[in-house]
Amino acid sequence: MPLFGKKRPSFEGGGLVLFMDVHDAMRAEKVLKAADYAVKLVAPPPELRRGCDLALEINLVEQPGIERLLTEKEAGYVSVLPIKPGASGLLEIVKVTDFGDWLMVKSANMKLSFEKKSGIIVNTSGGGCPDIPYLHAEMIGKRLDEAPRPRDLGFTLCALMLDRALEECLALWGGKP
Amino acid sequence: MMLIVGTIPIKDLPLTMGKVNSAGDSLLIDGHRIPCTQGTAAMITAALVATEYLKLDAPHVLIVGDTGKGNGSREMYEYLIQSVAKLSPQVLALHYCLPDMALTRSLCEALKSCNKRPTIIADAASMYAAKAAGLAQSFDIFTPDATEMAFLADPDATHPAYIARHLFDTDVTQTPKLVAAAYAKKNAAKLLLVKGATDYIVENGNILTTVSEPNVPALEPIGGTGDTITGLLATFVYAGLEPKEAAVIAARTNRMAGKLARATPATRVRQIIDQFPSVFKEYLCQWSNVCINLKPGRGNS
Repeated sequence: MPLFGKKRPSFEGGGLVLFMDVHDAMRAEKVLKAADYAVKLVAPPPELRRGCDLALEINLVEQPGIERLLTEKEAGYVSVLPIKPGASGLLEIVKVTDFGDWLMVKSANMKLSFEKKSGIIVNTSGGGCPDIPYLHAEMIGKRLDEAPRPRDLGFTLCALMLDRALEECLALWGGKP
Repeated sequence: MMLIVGTIPIKDLPLTMGKVNSAGDSLLIDGHRIPCTQGTAAMITAALVATEYLKLDAPHVLIVGDTGKGNGSREMYEYLIQSVAKLSPQVLALHYCLPDMALTRSLCEALKSCNKRPTIIADAASMYAAKAAGLAQSFDIFTPDATEMAFLADPDATHPAYIARHLFDTDVTQTPKLVAAAYAKKNAAKLLLVKGATDYIVENGNILTTVSEPNVPALEPIGGTGDTITGLLATFVYAGLEPKEAAVIAARTNRMAGKLARATPATRVRQIIDQFPSVFKEYLCQWSNVCINLKPGRGNS
């Protein structure tokens, strides 16, 4: 289906990648643009500055995919942060609900449920990013310790939260078949 | 027309627009067979089943393959921005995508060119983008779950992974506080259907009613049961119900279908959707109280 009169709107990302030096920032920009990520070199606000006075604005939702790519390409960076000054850090806590034969673990907006006896993943729910239905299809029916990791297959913060839920499920199940 | 927009987890699915048909347990859209799984496909399936029962025009959809990289999402939103005035849907339901604040802003501008403004519903990451961009009040309906409600209440979060811990820690009884916080910061749509152990229907900050029966806790772990509520809600609005009525009936339908399906955490969303016709037949008139006004064919366009 062809597009017509295509005009890309200006970029609003919500996240910043911070660097120790300008060279790292320039290299990361090149790596990410080559992989089709929308990024913009910006000056970080003073309160967020960690190293040099150049940062990359990114779509914060893409943080996991971007961090994975920078690591794979050995492109150095200090950290990834939300731009909004009052924003909290990544949510670390999880909630567990017992459904008798099944346990459900919730991490932020993502939930993963497994059968206690077998460790088989029976459902994932929640989220809104495009990798979540893909991960749902890839993970269901697999044992917790044999399922693909969302942190490896996914690209978004939803996938990262699903990975945290999986980690907690693995700890609760204890690897017992 | 009712237009549903969202990504599908099939890597090579091109940008596709068309009317939906059912093909056994799958959807058939412009020659593409789409399985009914969590996400946009579950939402479309729920809407299709409801339109078939009400003898309405089947949903039109704009879909694209995207497994997380976001290229499909951007292509889909760019096409919608260019086309929405020409399409001029009566109901526009935005769903799974890579959230993009700038594209959402452009879409809100493009919607001003529609001859008649559609009823705009956002769920999943389309809702995340609308809130993150400060555009929530340009939308008619959001359908958050409990954590997403906390996200709307957190003025600084651009994704639910970054909400403040004390907001994630709240239980369902705290929903009214979260609702108030979201509206105070203009981070909520005109109407909210907050999905949870108790569903809250909220209009412009006022909690109109709640739905808590039948109580089927196992619906929460089942992937796609939030998507089906949004698909039902969109269809009932398309059928001519007021959004608040549509929200109540959508919530009740989903719960009753879960009960009839004897849902467990291992149930698949298709098993829930399969119960919708029975629920409609048994309860729709009773619940809506305006069933004579649900004129079959009203949505034909």
